Amino acid sequence: MHYLLPIFKFFDKSWLATFIADSRWLFPAIEAVHIVALCLMFGAILILNLRLLGIAFNDKPVARLARELAPWVFCCLLIILASGLMLFSSEAMKAYTSVPFQVKMVFLFAAIIFHYTIYKHVTKTDDSKTNHSWAKLAAIVSIVLWLGVGIGGRGIGFL
Amino acid sequence: MGVVSWKRHGKAQRRNKCARTVLPVLYDTKIGSGIRESVWVFPIIEGTHLLGIALSVGMLCWFDLRLLGLALCDQPVSKVWQQVMPVAFIGFALMFVTGLLLFWAEAITAYRSIHFWIKVALLILAGVNALSFEATAHKNMAEWDKSPVTPLRARMTGAISLILWTAIIITGRTMAYSF
Repeated sequence: MHYLLPIFKFFDKSWLATFIADSRWLFPAIEAVHIVALCLMFGAILILNLRLLGIAFNDKPVARLARELAPWVFCCLLIILASGLMLFSSEAMKAYTSVPFQVKMVFLFAAIIFHYTIYKHVTKTDDSKTNHSWAKLAAIVSIVLWLGVGIGGRGIGFL
Repeated sequence: MGVVSWKRHGKAQRRNKCARTVLPVLYDTKIGSGIRESVWVFPIIEGTHLLGIALSVGMLCWFDLRLLGLALCDQPVSKVWQQVMPVAFIGFALMFVTGLLLFWAEAITAYRSIHFWIKVALLILAGVNALSFEATAHKNMAEWDKSPVTPLRARMTGAISLILWTAIIITGRTMAYSF
């Protein structure tokens, strides 16, 4: 982790960090935006996962559902990453020593990479074979990865 | 013991007889102090509370967006409701149970917090909004169920629901930081 220290220090000393840390209400306000966007994104991904698992929207083709939800997921992800970066900046040095933060980042990068590679491929091609076991596996992996991000995130506030 | 800790929390003492007797008892019960003082229990309950919000609001907002004609427009409104509601209700159940436990642990602080009362008021409004839609929408729902464009009344319900739940999340956060 030592080679990452300069990055944490950079964010810790940025004007953004002091701006947020100086305000009493900015942190909770940004956190609320973070949570609203993640609800929307988590909901969209969960709908798609339920479809892959054969639980909801079974008469709608997977690829069409995925195509419709993709822009929502992408926009929400941008909002989540932007607000997350602000929250991180204001307590960068705390995050540096926080195990839950490290866990969250591992899950986050894994989830994003998985979402835009394997998961994207599965939801693009799964049209005809709707209850394919690979699709179900992808749905479960997706749920586990995003839950990991959430659990790690909650842990930052407490540990 | 209850009296002592209530006196520490001073000012609101004379406000309300019921709150004066019930809240300190809640605050000092084993469950109340157990949640408040434990290293693990409070984060786990709060984490579950957030999971409940993600499941309930995460699902409900997609129904609201369907009412507004912004998403899932090729699906009938009634069908979107059927598909998202089981998960949303699991989320609501988690959220309410964990929310009550969190209140139990911080009853006196919450009672004196304006953020808490705004949050409660917004939750009631969200309930009224949903119930009034539920009570009136079914009369002529067949007419617009499959249409991407829903009546003004339905669109209002969706917009109000989105605004209220966003506000509820905001007050939940400001409440936590004002304690």
